[in-house]
Amino acid sequence: MRSKFIAGATLLWLAGSLAGCPEFQRAAEDAAKQSGNERLAGVIRGSGTLVAGLLPIGYEEESSIGQAIALQVIARYGGLVDDPDLTRYVNLVGRAVANTCDRPDIVYRFAVLNHDSINAFAAPAGYIFVTRGLLKQVKNEAELAAVLGHEIAHVSQKHILDVIQRSKRIAGVTEAGLAYAGQNPAAFKHIIDGAVKKLLDEGLDQSKELEADTIGEEFAARVGYDPTAYVTFLTRLRQVKGDDRAFFKTHPNFSNRIQAVQEVIQAKGYKANGQLLADRYARLSKRI
Amino acid sequence: MNRKRWATNGIVAVALLAALLIAEVAQAETLYVQAKTAQLRSGRTSLDAVVAHVRFGEPLEVVSREGSWVKVKTTGGTQGWIFANKLSETKPSGGGETLAALGRSMRRGAASATTASAGARGLDKTSEAYADRSGISQKDREAVDRMTSYQLADQDVETFLKEGGLGEYAK
Repeated sequence: MRSKFIAGATLLWLAGSLAGCPEFQRAAEDAAKQSGNERLAGVIRGSGTLVAGLLPIGYEEESSIGQAIALQVIARYGGLVDDPDLTRYVNLVGRAVANTCDRPDIVYRFAVLNHDSINAFAAPAGYIFVTRGLLKQVKNEAELAAVLGHEIAHVSQKHILDVIQRSKRIAGVTEAGLAYAGQNPAAFKHIIDGAVKKLLDEGLDQSKELEADTIGEEFAARVGYDPTAYVTFLTRLRQVKGDDRAFFKTHPNFSNRIQAVQEVIQAKGYKANGQLLADRYARLSKRI
Repeated sequence: MNRKRWATNGIVAVALLAALLIAEVAQAETLYVQAKTAQLRSGRTSLDAVVAHVRFGEPLEVVSREGSWVKVKTTGGTQGWIFANKLSETKPSGGGETLAALGRSMRRGAASATTASAGARGLDKTSEAYADRSGISQKDREAVDRMTSYQLADQDVETFLKEGGLGEYAK
């Protein structure tokens, strides 16, 4: 009789796991409990979290993660510049690029950090930042579009989510599965703090940075911005910062990045005949 | 013997049908809308009238190409020109949302803790709780709130492209 219960509960559990249905899972858990097999009930309970932890992160969860990381970026980089015209301009350039990127179906928002360092960041769900210091180095709209294209590519390629997904697997999926429910704020904080450390202190993998450079270059070129603008910008930063030190101490050196972008220009057959829009940029950059 | 011949004929017929179908598929090139907003126009300039609006991920059959413009046909039969940068050869994946939804449903109660669309609201419950635990100032929370609810109309972006001679407004 007992083995029948166990078989029934196991079958329900398997069916539930396959269908991904929590009701099935609960029914299986109840059946196992009724049979007196607490251990099996425990395994079934855990399985939902286990499977859930391995599944990709959806947009709602991505949005919570993006907001939490955005809070840390703003807290550590001097807050946002409060200038409606400048904010609108950066958002217009950003949206122009994002609207025809490889992931145009989410909302992207852009803001200027009140910080002198030359930096830009992207958090999941389209939270994108550039520092005042970076804007001072930019000479035209095409360069800004390419920088924003790089950050948009981090979001469209889900680079940060990938880091989190991997850390979930390493850290143990049980904890991670609970974290996203908002039912375990401590675990959520642990995951976010890890991602912030990677993003702001250690840097993403160099391959991800080069990928963001090449894909971002393509995003900006698609809109009609001059494809050579990004090469000019990276070359200027190499002069300013030197090639021994990486851009944000977290990126590949400039020569590698310039070469990667030039390879895209060549492979795609891009011509240096796009828009630079230096005047439009100059009108706004006076305000920085 | 007869049964065998029937079977052979059947196999040949199915093979022919399959070959025809493959030929049909090979003839019609399908591209997908890879843009937040996109429109089909009656001609190959941004000044030509809009004949249809198409959605992200929508399949379009290629009729012909001319420079940066592609003449396409919607599944409903409407034909028009679309700027090539708004098309992709591969169907946009939508970011694995089906699997993600499955994961969410398994993490009980997850959906109620987060906003369904972060288009117009500020911090959600999960990130608010994170701000509490991390000692984030009210000013910084308001900054993320402002950023989250920042609105920019699609039409404004379109005007911005037009003024800059970008996208389909390139000279």
